[in-house]
Amino acid sequence: MTATSITSAAAPLTAEQTLPEPPFSPQLVEEFVRHFVRAVKTHQLYLPNNPIYQRSIEGLRTSFAPMWEVTTELVLQISESEFRWMGRSVHHEGSRAESLPWVFYKDGLRELTIMQGFEQEEVATLLDIMQRMRKASPDEDDLLTLLWEQEFAYLRYRFIDISEGIGGDVIEAAEAAAAAANDPDHPPPVISVADIQDDVSKETDRNGIVKMEDLDGSLYFLDEQEIDYLREAVQKEQTLNLRRNVLGVLFDIAETQPATEVREEVCSILEQIMPHLLAAGDYGAVALLLREAAVVVKRAGDLLPAHRQKLMSLPGLISSPSVLSQLVSALNDATAMPPQEDLDALFDQLQGETLGTILSGLKQTQRAELRTMLERTAARLASSNTAELLKLIAADDEHVAVEAMRRAADLKTPAAVGHLLKCLSHSSVGRRLGAVQALSEIGSPGALRALESALEDADRDVRLTAVRTLSTRGHRAALPKVEAAVKGSAVKDADLTEKMTYFEAYGMLAGDEGIPQLDALLNGRSALLRLRVDPELRACAAMALGRIGTDKAFEVLRKAADDKDVRVRSAINKALRGGAP
Amino acid sequence: MTSAQPMPAATGAFMPPAHPEIGERGSDGFIRKVGRELLLAVYGALRTVKMYPPDNPVVQKTLEELVRLANDLWRREQEVDIRVTGEFIFINGTRLRLDLDNYATFSRIISAFRESGVGVCRLRGDTTTRDWVVFLTVLQQPEQGDPDTRLHELGGKLTAANVSVFELGPCSAADAADAANQLQAKEAAKRTYAQSVSVTKDVINSVRMGKSPNIKKIKRVVQGIVDQILNEETSLIGLTTLRDYDEYTFTHSVNVCIFSVALGRKLGLTRLQLYDLGVGALMHDVGKARIPLDILNKPGSLTEDEWRTVCNHPWLGVLQLFQMRGQNDIPYRAMVVAFEHHKKTDLSGYPRHVRPRELSIYSKVVAVSDAFDAATSRRAYQTIPLSPADVLQEMRINPRRGMDQVLVKAFMSLVGHYPVGTLVVLDTFELALVHGANPSPDAISRPIVKVVSDERGNVLFPGTLVDLTERDAGGVFKRTIIKVADPDRYGIRVSDYYI
Repeated sequence: MTATSITSAAAPLTAEQTLPEPPFSPQLVEEFVRHFVRAVKTHQLYLPNNPIYQRSIEGLRTSFAPMWEVTTELVLQISESEFRWMGRSVHHEGSRAESLPWVFYKDGLRELTIMQGFEQEEVATLLDIMQRMRKASPDEDDLLTLLWEQEFAYLRYRFIDISEGIGGDVIEAAEAAAAAANDPDHPPPVISVADIQDDVSKETDRNGIVKMEDLDGSLYFLDEQEIDYLREAVQKEQTLNLRRNVLGVLFDIAETQPATEVREEVCSILEQIMPHLLAAGDYGAVALLLREAAVVVKRAGDLLPAHRQKLMSLPGLISSPSVLSQLVSALNDATAMPPQEDLDALFDQLQGETLGTILSGLKQTQRAELRTMLERTAARLASSNTAELLKLIAADDEHVAVEAMRRAADLKTPAAVGHLLKCLSHSSVGRRLGAVQALSEIGSPGALRALESALEDADRDVRLTAVRTLSTRGHRAALPKVEAAVKGSAVKDADLTEKMTYFEAYGMLAGDEGIPQLDALLNGRSALLRLRVDPELRACAAMALGRIGTDKAFEVLRKAADDKDVRVRSAINKALRGGAP
Repeated sequence: MTSAQPMPAATGAFMPPAHPEIGERGSDGFIRKVGRELLLAVYGALRTVKMYPPDNPVVQKTLEELVRLANDLWRREQEVDIRVTGEFIFINGTRLRLDLDNYATFSRIISAFRESGVGVCRLRGDTTTRDWVVFLTVLQQPEQGDPDTRLHELGGKLTAANVSVFELGPCSAADAADAANQLQAKEAAKRTYAQSVSVTKDVINSVRMGKSPNIKKIKRVVQGIVDQILNEETSLIGLTTLRDYDEYTFTHSVNVCIFSVALGRKLGLTRLQLYDLGVGALMHDVGKARIPLDILNKPGSLTEDEWRTVCNHPWLGVLQLFQMRGQNDIPYRAMVVAFEHHKKTDLSGYPRHVRPRELSIYSKVVAVSDAFDAATSRRAYQTIPLSPADVLQEMRINPRRGMDQVLVKAFMSLVGHYPVGTLVVLDTFELALVHGANPSPDAISRPIVKVVSDERGNVLFPGTLVDLTERDAGGVFKRTIIKVADPDRYGIRVSDYYI
């Protein structure tokens, strides 16, 4: 006992040990705070439909119950790293960066009072706010503003007042002046009642005398119509597009204020505001900005060249690949598409150099409506910026290059032929195929000449596309190569479709000149020769004769009408009917 | 039971915090919420008790809900104090907000209390459905006679029915409690006003020195003003009479903010809308921070060039607000207000605009508040301010002012024919300062005034509050306004009576 006493006397009591007995166990509060901290964390990590999230919220709500059995409100003091209750630490976090008390403390919160009923709805609102605070940049609304906006019924808070450190209290000064002027030891002079009476009698005809008509109640009380007018005005105010309104103001300033530094400032604001408008998803405002910049350039004749240049370069900002690809991504990710007219207005402002980014965007676009818009924009930009389009045919990004080839094909621009021809020697099959398809679409003599080289391409699809186009267009200059292919040994190893395509192309290009060759294949002089020729080749020859379609060709076909091979007979019948294979 | 005995003033909602540097928010949110629910339940019970017999299931259900709410509140707060004064209802000292969706409820309860001479109804503990049936029934059967007699009769009926849980007080008790609350409200208003002027000064001076002002402080003061206006606007509006000559730029911005938020409240704007409006109003003249002080403070008339420079402040304000913005928080609405607050309804005025424009209602509200405060203030170039009544008249009858006439009317209904701070001569030849509009809508010509000199010309400080609707025994008004007067003429400094 003695030793214990000595020990007790030697070790002074800690601050917490000297505190009065709390009204209920601190463990209840600690448990609640623990659940609260956990809920804040899970709120950050999981969506509301996640079971972990739901469990943590439920745990938090449940943790209130034992407390509400013994009290109706809980007051927590906040320090940089602690929540305290009745002077006792109920939660401590060492690291300030992660500390929940610090999130409250740094914005001036010093005390929270949580009342019974808070756990029902308001707790979720507070968790939302905490999440916003964790993500917020220093420029965003602070915790006090977010709490104020919510108008909690079951949460009170105390905070460091803003008046701290600000001097010059206007009220104190006024109070001092009033006290000095109305010092009871120095009674004020008496006002002459005669003067008052005199003033009244002198001024009966002048302003200042009460006029009964001024006291007409109708001057003070709004009638139904006026109330409606105000209600509508307030509603309209809420639908006002403030961004566009302010843009209008900025352009008015730019147009009406010739001072250099003012225009400089406006130009700078316009440059800076663009990301905000995009981030807000107000694409119509971005379009307005670009459109009105052009209007100012046109109307303000006294613009300095530097300002003119700045305004004219604004569309370039949105047209830069990094910005535009962000825009396309944002549109892809958006839960709902913005109004079509806003997007149309914005995309109408895009400049030629954006074509590559738009074409690139087509690759990542899943949304049909966005794709349609990008296609439309690409078509507009391609038609008005041929040079950019031609450049893109050789783009490093194969998707962009092929899309560019497609636009060139749609436009049937002969200027693209040279660029496409170069692509035919590219190692990528995709590019060669794109080029051959584009050349086919363009179909100019130059394009057809370019296609001849594709007849010998290593890729089947490239060859087939080329040979079909050349035959359909009747490009006889390709006949030698087609004839060589038909007569060559390589065709024998090709699949039926390719064989057939080449033979039909041969028939179409050679006409009657090709009949002997085809007749030899179909109707070899001896049965032995016929047996040696692959029936597929003979069927192809039959189809080629059908493509020639002259009496002479039909006569050759009829000669073979009784061929023993069913495939050959079938091809002959089709060819005689003029049908497709 | 001593049902009709006077009671001490109830605890107010505006108790200043123990440490002056500590602010407090949300202290009345709970009472406001629960109080509103309680009043809705009282209203519902008043109606059903009148329409159906007590054992009707509808009545029972309504009463059970009322009992639950009343008892919950009593257990939690150990106090349920319903007080009716003027056009307001207070629960435990917190004034409940009158909104479009609850005005019928308020009005019915206020008239039921008044007709029975009840100013205060305080619960002594848990109630039962029977207690409420009896109370609400007798409340709707007022006796004849003066209010005290009616209250006495009501108390007697409750006693006879053996209902002792309600402690009732007369209207005078409510008024006394209200006066106590007013004092607390006034202290809170002073604090809000002082902070607002300090912060505005800080912001404008920062801008002048090319520093970045603290936007968060601006938001905080506007939040304070909005809360104050929603709770008890009279004190804050009274402080607009300060119109400090030396601090004109700052007090003017704060006054415009106060008037605008109060007018916005009259238009039915929500709390957050009032906040938006308040920020716009407080910052409406921020462009003046870019105008040389020697022009702003020039005592004489301005040259044409100087005037043109002053007229630039609306659009300079827009540019300035862009400098003050946070990274993700561009105050667009404040910019619109700054740009438009000198535009007239026909879009004339300044600055010139080129693109089609329709004035924002917020800008029109600020224009009215701005014009009123500017004309009634003493400034470098306006050493003799106009009387508030004259300014209102000018705004109303002179179309060249270009004010929205419906808003002017709403503003007049806010400040009354005799706005707060107007010096009036009474037919007793007393001088009085208008303290506030009369709560009774029929008494627009009879505001509450503070008599500042007696019939013999003795100056009174701090003055005596008088309701100009008071009549003598013969039913004749005791005092009537006969003239609006210039305070300077009689050496009265108006602001001394409002701080």
